[in-house]
Amino acid sequence: MSLDISFIGILIGSIMASSVPLILAASGELITERSGVLNLGVEGMMIIGAISGFALMVITDNLFIAIIGSMLSGVVISLIFGFLTQSLLTNHVATGLALTIFGIGLSAMLGKDFVGIPGKDFPILFSSLRESIPFFGPILFGHSIILYFAFVLPFLTSYFLKKTKLGLIVRAVGDSPVSASNQGINVVLVRYCCILYGGGMCGLAGAYLSLIYTPQWIENMTAGRGWIALALVVFATWSPIKVLIGAIIFGGISILQLHMQAVGFRIPVQFLIALPYLMTIIVLVVISRDSRKIKLNTPTSLGRIFYKEK
Amino acid sequence: MATDLRISNISKIYPGCIANDNVSLQFKSGKIYALLGENGAGKSTLVKILSGVISPDNGEVYLNEKNLKLSSPLDAKKNKIGMVFQHFNLFETLSVFENLSIDATEDNKSLRVKINEILKKYNFSIDLDVPVLNLSAGQKQKVEIIRCLLRSPKVLIMDEPTSVLTEQETEELFISLKKFCDEGILIIYITHKLKEVLSLCDEVAVMRKGKVVSVSQTQNEKVETLANKMVGQKLAKIKKKINISKNKDEIFKVKHLNFYSDDPFETNLVNLNFSVKKGECLGIAGISGNGQNELFQILSGEIITPNTSIIFRNKEIAKLNPKQRREYLMAFSPEDRISQAAVPELKIYENVALNNFKSSNFFEKGLVNERKIKEHSKKILSDFSVNTDNVELKSQFLSGGNLQKLILGRELITAPELLICYNPTWGLDVGAINYIHETLIKINDQEKSTILISTDTEELLKLSDRIAVIYKGKLSKIMPSDEVTPEKLGILMGGGSID
Repeated sequence: MSLDISFIGILIGSIMASSVPLILAASGELITERSGVLNLGVEGMMIIGAISGFALMVITDNLFIAIIGSMLSGVVISLIFGFLTQSLLTNHVATGLALTIFGIGLSAMLGKDFVGIPGKDFPILFSSLRESIPFFGPILFGHSIILYFAFVLPFLTSYFLKKTKLGLIVRAVGDSPVSASNQGINVVLVRYCCILYGGGMCGLAGAYLSLIYTPQWIENMTAGRGWIALALVVFATWSPIKVLIGAIIFGGISILQLHMQAVGFRIPVQFLIALPYLMTIIVLVVISRDSRKIKLNTPTSLGRIFYKEK
Repeated sequence: MATDLRISNISKIYPGCIANDNVSLQFKSGKIYALLGENGAGKSTLVKILSGVISPDNGEVYLNEKNLKLSSPLDAKKNKIGMVFQHFNLFETLSVFENLSIDATEDNKSLRVKINEILKKYNFSIDLDVPVLNLSAGQKQKVEIIRCLLRSPKVLIMDEPTSVLTEQETEELFISLKKFCDEGILIIYITHKLKEVLSLCDEVAVMRKGKVVSVSQTQNEKVETLANKMVGQKLAKIKKKINISKNKDEIFKVKHLNFYSDDPFETNLVNLNFSVKKGECLGIAGISGNGQNELFQILSGEIITPNTSIIFRNKEIAKLNPKQRREYLMAFSPEDRISQAAVPELKIYENVALNNFKSSNFFEKGLVNERKIKEHSKKILSDFSVNTDNVELKSQFLSGGNLQKLILGRELITAPELLICYNPTWGLDVGAINYIHETLIKINDQEKSTILISTDTEELLKLSDRIAVIYKGKLSKIMPSDEVTPEKLGILMGGGSID
């Protein structure tokens, strides 16, 4: 029996690892959307983060620089989106889609020379505790620092939005940019900051994939995770904690269905592959039924172009 | 310390329109000043300049002889100019306290103390921890006023503050404003309601087409003199002859109208029963947000409610959609001209074609018969004195008044037996209001019926034969309008009872 329990511990550990990129990207996008900006470029920003992180690791041989660089690259590419939507007042949806297509193409081009290069081991914390404690060891210990950060992030995000002045300003801008502007808040600046923060988190999410989760560069390696993160934000009705729950469910069922396929359940493979999507949506819809709360959490001005009267 | 606000030679030009043309005015604390004018006279532009939202092309603003540079709302705030906009600048999903704390400099604890002091001093009662969307319009306005008071303003500008208030709330507001004035705050009161100017303000400046046309003491003015200055011409007086005859047929009858919604922005309707006689105007009063939207949508067929019976000309129509109801000769004029009644991006004749009644042959074999629609549209434009004869014009370029005339014309040209309209003169100027009121009275004279849902009590008293009040989704008893006074309506609209 002890074998089974430790196996379950390892399974839970791997589920946590697989949900990290979703948590990071969705938490970042959540802040962006709370300020009223709909950035559909999550996938593009993630993949740019993935290639720049990996490339910097190979070039500098320094994981710290690689991580920071991946975040910066996410920031830079989101700056393009910010400039287009906030300064040139382009449509959020079209610009975001373009950003994703651009990101995927650019990363493929940049990554040509990095295909097939093996990645480096990313340092893991408390590796001795992981081995010595049964069941809880593999769950709680032996992960990268990024994973711990990711699991704290939704709580920090929630605290930021609910309890801090800056969080209040972000929510106010998302609720009514015109009112915020008339109160003397620099709406465009706030939105720029939120867009750049979202870009940074997406970059980090991408680097987690290429440096830690599957340490190598493969073209299009984000494989739609950016879109899942986007959907998570909406289905979680812009609540950071629900984003965390959704990401774990999605990660969990993705891993479980792999095991189910391996064991050879008599269920069509296509259904198993669709299962994580299905279950995540069902669970999030069920836990966010309160229409009152949805109204209060939804950024009213989401995706609308704001321009200042002159 | 006395405050002296002077604006000198302010001009603001938008493409195709001079919003402010060399405006100079002077205000001193201790008095309440009215800025009077029709829509589009340039009042709002002027106050936007004073509050730093927009900057003028020309001209200066002086506060106590100091030249102010108002290039952002922050500058106005720093110079202690407070502003309550007509369309509230609140964050609906945030709590009252969050709304007030967003630009506060002190920490939350002392801010709360400060707010509570203001609440006590002026007798306001507002729960600080509910989201703003749960508040009534009057309460929202108080939140805006508190926001200004927190910064101990020297100047307080109120932009059309009573357009959303009940009679009682208006009185309360006036009492507060007089208090502020006594405390040395300079108050500038923007409005197009003449009676308010006379009852509240000491001095009045009248604006027309971007220019100040007169500045005078209100004690020397009367409603008529102010109206003539404002419009620039003499206005005909409208008064309807109330006709309540018991033995006329009931043309429209609603029974057991119930509506339940989960949406916190919608109001539930509870067991509404009423009927309309031939040639009668039934007025439904109420502060906006008490169920008028839902009621209008149910009457027009946009929302179908179960177990409701609506009889129109002896036929049950409760399950019919708006198009089918139109075919039975009902017509509708919704509140929101731009998004509900007309499509602003479409041309005038295209908008006319939108309610394609069967008899008109606008469409043949699925194709649009443009010539017929255009002829028909031209007739509407001339019959309802819309100030253009170009049916190719996009509807968004019509002013509110002309758009409303077009919409009414479109609805009335089929000679409907019943017209249901919701705030038909909302936001219009006196001239257009007069025209629309005349039109609505004419309908009744022709033995056609109307249901007038309106938040404007004066309009209701002028046009209705019988009046009921809707409050929180419930309908009061229906009263003949000669037994109704504005005070009575105000009490009912605020949820009180009059018996």
